[in-house]
Amino acid sequence: MILLSDVSKSYNKEVILKDFSMTIGKGEFTYVTGPSGSGKSTLLKLIYCSERPDSGQIVVGEWTVTKLKQKAIPYLRREVGVVFQDFKLLVNQTVFENVALAMRINGRPSREVKEYVNAVLREVKLSHKANMFPLQLSGGEQQRVVIARAMVSKPAVLLADEPTGNLDPDNTDIVMKLFREMNSRGTTVLIATHDQNLYQGTGQRVFHIVDRHIDQEFIG
Amino acid sequence: MRIFGYCFQAAFKSIWREKWINLLTILSISIGLLLLCVFVIFTSNMDSVLQRWSKNFGMVVYLTDDIGQAGEDALKRTFQQDDDISKVKYISNAQALEEIRNALGSNALILDDFQENPLPSSFELKLRSELLEPAIVKEKAAQIGKMPGVEEVQYGEKWLSSLYIISKTLKIGAICFGFAMLIAITFITYCTIKIFFHRKNDEIETIKLLGATRAFTRLPFLIEGIFIGTMGGIISSIIIFGAYSFATLKIIEFLPSIGLMLSSIPLLAYLLIPFAGATMSLLGSFIAVGKIRY
Repeated sequence: MILLSDVSKSYNKEVILKDFSMTIGKGEFTYVTGPSGSGKSTLLKLIYCSERPDSGQIVVGEWTVTKLKQKAIPYLRREVGVVFQDFKLLVNQTVFENVALAMRINGRPSREVKEYVNAVLREVKLSHKANMFPLQLSGGEQQRVVIARAMVSKPAVLLADEPTGNLDPDNTDIVMKLFREMNSRGTTVLIATHDQNLYQGTGQRVFHIVDRHIDQEFIG
Repeated sequence: MRIFGYCFQAAFKSIWREKWINLLTILSISIGLLLLCVFVIFTSNMDSVLQRWSKNFGMVVYLTDDIGQAGEDALKRTFQQDDDISKVKYISNAQALEEIRNALGSNALILDDFQENPLPSSFELKLRSELLEPAIVKEKAAQIGKMPGVEEVQYGEKWLSSLYIISKTLKIGAICFGFAMLIAITFITYCTIKIFFHRKNDEIETIKLLGATRAFTRLPFLIEGIFIGTMGGIISSIIIFGAYSFATLKIIEFLPSIGLMLSSIPLLAYLLIPFAGATMSLLGSFIAVGKIRY
């Protein structure tokens, strides 16, 4: 599902990733970990095409990301849901509108948007806060809105960059449970985290990045 | 279509949210369009006055004493067949003397001292109005002056030159002023939309990450720009309509001569003003949004 082959990326001559390769199968739940500044976020940005590699090849599903033209990038991103540590919610729109946005971008009919968004909000247990604005919610609730927003577009791949970085243990459990539910429906999940508690004992693959490439791959 | 509907909704939400800055932009645009229209109306009225004056412009062709009837007839035929000449009037030397006598009134006695009529016969020619350019008229006069039986050709050379320069200056002025105003309107909208665009930078980045196409990202800003320009134009049209109606209905009562100066504004012009506002604002918005990169 996700293939990176000899990918290199540098910013202002500082090498972030060097000859980086990894393969993630369809429907897998994987983690990428490493110290701060090791290139975890850059790796995710390369996958959802927010950054372009200097060399190497990246394939996501049927998309050869490295050969993708600018105008095709939106269509890749509709298949790749992204969850950020800083949420990236639209503060002047309600929870409902934030979640619905991904469907509206896809041009889904209003009736379908209404029904599906309400169903997803029930799933993330935020139905009662549908008309509230993001800044009226706690950090955990905001992160659930972000996950709901990713869920509505039924992405083939879900990328999460330190999704629990700002959350307490209870909210972390809720968020991880939602990720597992998405994965159980066939979504390939890749979580970038430096929190060992997230992957320990999960039995899932973990890529450890040190010194610009994968230092070791192990089962969490 | 659904995406278009959503973009419309987003644009109008933004217009409402930023109502004060939008209102100021609309008023600025309407003032710009108003100035433009006033200048265009003034120029067109001045031009129509000049056109009316130029209709009286004539060229007088004085004939030699020995031309004879056959020569006069030949010249008349030549002038009548000339496409550049719209009207030909023959004035015999007797008619000319009579006209002078009438003009002098009680002082006509001085004409009695002449033993014979000192005035030559002449043709009064009117050229087609589109040919009333100093260079063309001069060339025509020279051409006629060389014809057999023609003594002299006279026309108001300086008067025509002045009229031509005034008319030309007004037209060039209107074009330059109009161009400057349209650029100003584009710039006003550009600034407003640029502010909105920067203010919504985070929002734009988010929707791009969610898979929004360039059209989806741009459309609300373009709709907002079109709305601002159209509203500015509508306000201008209403003010001009009101002012013009007032001028034609009320001021004419006190100053009837102003009626000669006022040429009517066609209905299409009232529709063209909002259209011009919308077009220039759309251009401003388009430049403000710029190239969207992923």
